Amino acid sequence: MIATGIKRGTAELAVLSVLADGPLHGYEMARRIEQQTRGALRFTLASLYPLLYRIEKRGWVRGAWETSPAGRRRRCYRLTPQGKKKLSPIRKEWAELFRALHRLTETSHA
Amino acid sequence: MPDWQELVRRQLAGLALEPSERAEVIEELAAHLDDTFEDLRRRGFTEEDAAQRCLSEVEDWHVLRRRIQIARRKENTMSNRVTQLWLPALLTFALAMGFLALIQLFGPRPHIVPSNGTLRMTPVATVYIPWLLSLPLVGALGALLSHRAGGARRAVFFSIVFPVVPYLVFFLMLLPFALTFEKHAGRDIILSGFLVGLAGWVLLPGVALLAGGLPAQLFLSRRVSSRSVAAH
Repeated sequence: MIATGIKRGTAELAVLSVLADGPLHGYEMARRIEQQTRGALRFTLASLYPLLYRIEKRGWVRGAWETSPAGRRRRCYRLTPQGKKKLSPIRKEWAELFRALHRLTETSHA
Repeated sequence: MPDWQELVRRQLAGLALEPSERAEVIEELAAHLDDTFEDLRRRGFTEEDAAQRCLSEVEDWHVLRRRIQIARRKENTMSNRVTQLWLPALLTFALAMGFLALIQLFGPRPHIVPSNGTLRMTPVATVYIPWLLSLPLVGALGALLSHRAGGARRAVFFSIVFPVVPYLVFFLMLLPFALTFEKHAGRDIILSGFLVGLAGWVLLPGVALLAGGLPAQLFLSRRVSSRSVAAH
């Protein structure tokens, strides 16, 4: 239960964070996350879209079809005001958790 | 380049969403595979390797279909439950009962199992062999319907064995009475009769249903994963 919750939480944070920089479609999002985390986080199609649909349902992101100059249709996601509001406390919670874990691991190594 | 639209459409067949919404999901996932493929090709992968890597983006399409359904149709959990569980379960029940009625009316005489091994006692279980032989087919049909509707393993299993569930409930409700009367009667009649009845109406038909349903479920799950390789 904890493992699933943590995994889901980090995935949501990753997606919301990259979308904070601007709208992206699914593939761009997966690539951006992989690049920015230097390959530590990798989203496959199977892990990304159920998550996107879930947070879209919650109203944190909104998807809309856009056509590129090359004529390709892609569904681009952008943060909604609700998603922007959500991102800030999530970031704080995770930063706090990582700091706590860091302190814990440092103590246990000492 | 593989036809990603066709592949995704095939793999997500039975995705329980509105047609327009389903088409949107298929287009979006196909576009993702398309981008992945082109990116890999630009990075020097052969067409074959790139396609193989794209296919590895989804380990189990059946699981993905279910997760998409849950994510997009929270408000329709009830209708999912109906199509994945209740509908196949009730259909297998109706078919099993229909076959039983037909066999009772037109079939050969049943095999009668007495409670204590001799025919002097009241028979408590009548075993209809043709009916038992028809049950693997019914179980397989239950598995097929539930699987196609995107049912999880538990829903598929329940759909397979549902025809014996009412009998099981009946026998479980009967058990306290059987134990009480057994104590008063002081003879080994009622409890043994109960056990023979349980075997004849729950265990044997249950095994027969699973004999058809489980291989069907296994076959359908394997077909889903092998299809992606075949499409490549």
